Amino acid sequence: MECVFGLVGNDFAIVAADTSAVHSILVHKSNEDKIMILDSHKLIAASGESGDRVQFTEYIQKNVALYQFRNGIPLTTAAAANFTRGELATALRKSLSYLFFLVSTIVNNDIWFFQNPYFVNILLAGYDKETGPSLFYIDYIATLHKVDKGAFGYGSYFSLAMMDRHYHSGMTVEEAIDLVDKCIMEIRSRLVVAPPNFVIKIVDKDGAREYAWRESVKDAAVPLA
Amino acid sequence: MSRRYDSRTTIFSPEGRLYQVEYAMEAIGNAGSAIGILSKDGVVLVGEKKVTSKLLQTSTSTEKMYKIDDHVACAVAGIMSDANILINTARVQAQRYTYAYQEPMPVEQLVQSLCDTKQGYTQFGGLRPFGVSFLFAGWDKNYGFQLYMSDPSGNYSGWKAAAIGANNQAAQSMLKQDYKDDITREEAVQLALKVLSKTMDSTSLTSEKLELAEVFLTPSGNVKYQVCSSDSLSKLLVKFGVTQPATEAS
Amino acid sequence: MKLDTAGMESAAPVWGSHNELVDGFSAAPSFELPNTTDFDGFQKEAIQMVKPAKGTTTLAFIFKEGVMVAADSRASMGGYISSQSVKKIIEINPYMLGTMAGGAADCQFWHRNLGIKCRLHELANKRRISVTGASKLLANILYSYRGMGLSVGTMIAGWDETGPGLYYVDNEGGRLKGMRFSVGSGSPYAYGVLDNGYRYDMSVEEAAELARRAIYHATFRDGASGGVASVYYVGPNGWKKLSGDDVGELHYRYYPVMPSTVEQEMVEVTGA
Repeated sequence: MECVFGLVGNDFAIVAADTSAVHSILVHKSNEDKIMILDSHKLIAASGESGDRVQFTEYIQKNVALYQFRNGIPLTTAAAANFTRGELATALRKSLSYLFFLVSTIVNNDIWFFQNPYFVNILLAGYDKETGPSLFYIDYIATLHKVDKGAFGYGSYFSLAMMDRHYHSGMTVEEAIDLVDKCIMEIRSRLVVAPPNFVIKIVDKDGAREYAWRESVKDAAVPLA
Repeated sequence: MSRRYDSRTTIFSPEGRLYQVEYAMEAIGNAGSAIGILSKDGVVLVGEKKVTSKLLQTSTSTEKMYKIDDHVACAVAGIMSDANILINTARVQAQRYTYAYQEPMPVEQLVQSLCDTKQGYTQFGGLRPFGVSFLFAGWDKNYGFQLYMSDPSGNYSGWKAAAIGANNQAAQSMLKQDYKDDITREEAVQLALKVLSKTMDSTSLTSEKLELAEVFLTPSGNVKYQVCSSDSLSKLLVKFGVTQPATEAS
Repeated sequence: MKLDTAGMESAAPVWGSHNELVDGFSAAPSFELPNTTDFDGFQKEAIQMVKPAKGTTTLAFIFKEGVMVAADSRASMGGYISSQSVKKIIEINPYMLGTMAGGAADCQFWHRNLGIKCRLHELANKRRISVTGASKLLANILYSYRGMGLSVGTMIAGWDETGPGLYYVDNEGGRLKGMRFSVGSGSPYAYGVLDNGYRYDMSVEEAAELARRAIYHATFRDGASGGVASVYYVGPNGWKKLSGDDVGELHYRYYPVMPSTVEQEMVEVTGA
């Protein structure tokens, strides 16, 4: 089942997520990328109901982009995290909030109907010039924590323990990747419903990007058309 | 017939002018003036108090300077009742931003949001534009110290030194003459007082007719908005030699 | 969270994956509410009514020549087979197909609706909509009705300017891009055959044969699937129906049991 985790290193932050799209006992897909590149220096890894996950992260991404267009400056990671938390919190108590929705910026024209709580848990990683790398833990009931390591889903039991044991401040990229791989191996060997594949992304002063995939089952790759 | 185009804010005259907006600016031209100067270590605002009476008792210590948020303050020229509305919306906007993002609102965004409100009144029917000009002084982490000037049309722009209210053109040209890029805050105070003393109608400059406020960083790195007390303002006037009516008269 | 196997039953409850917490938050009603005091109970009943239609097997996959789409044709309501001749592959336009699993009415309605939107896009932009765009359109609609009882599990397959496209879209707003999908109660059986026999560089004939076999084997094991195995192919020149075979007849072609030549005789066991 779902495994999303991340940590802050010396001058970077790393997030990893499983890549399985699951419905009941069926794995529909094992190369679904659940880490979105939010803007040039932010990553948002999300777990939760498939519809909510995509809709919500896209909504946040579009609003962050809109902010940058309007104001010429990007949001800091902390500001983006607080904004994300706020959106989750208002949606949580929804129903009448469609009124609020009309007033607030409507980016996605299609969600005018009404609003439901979003069932998504989020790890938001980013890099800012002033403050360096940071990682924020936001769960579906809109709890926000600034953390240096965090995890969601069934995999969290294993990855949290692993990170508690092996994490130290000021890790290098090599050390951090090694730790991420340790977590992945532990999940694969101890979790009954372990997902086969993972994606790892990194954000540092040079921006947010994909770092690597860890695949034990190869899905038919989509050939470039 | 002569009142065909100027009675409505939303209608252009055949020459392409919005008379009501121009009249609003005219109203400000008669109001007590204010000067803002940007220095490398802070922003200085000075204002001229128009109404001074021994019987007057106001609850606020300042009548032209308002703190919008911890990091932004403004000076007003124009109709004070209009200004109060705008200052209130500015304060609400600043708090709303902090609520959403948990960090102070960038100064220009605050100015822009206020100017959006002002602009609305030049376009939507049945309403009168705000008869207010503002000088905004503030600090944010992106652009440091900033000074903005806005007018009733909703236009705003950033300045190194700016003046609004009565005699603003004269003040502006004096500022242009005397402003230097590496000016310190103390020099900025001196320059502002000097310019104001020369452009004000009254012959003698006293602390009762003046307001001075500064935005700067404390040694610990926090933004501070500080209003100069009447006593220290009097001392400053003497120190900078702008209070002797004799020298002005000559 | 518990492992939710509800979707595996022939008739999957639409709200199976929601927990109690969700039910507490009622949606802002956008149409008239039923006249009842027990709204939750009414909804459960209403869902029961839609439920039976999910007994289905549909599949689609991308291969070298394009996309192959196949489905069975049975409609059932619990144990009762209400039809053996349902068109579960919906022709959205000459280049795009949708498959139907879940509520028949919901699927039909929203596919027609999607057809309209795709045609309007074509008129406005002077080019056909991409499969990506069309599937996102449908997913956004379904997402906006999320939690209101729609039951849709569909695949949007087609050919656009970028080549073949295949997306899975469901009533929870989920949307997945992929090379190979199967939806419905028979899907695990279909996946078994499909995953094993799939190669990207198949010919159209091989692919059609694989699709047909996968549907047949699903209908054999899944009681809620049956009827006719229809196979469609979408290539650069649009879709084409390749075959529609009664699975009863396919049985004699495909069922891998050889008739035994020696009949075993009963012998009395001594010393038992």
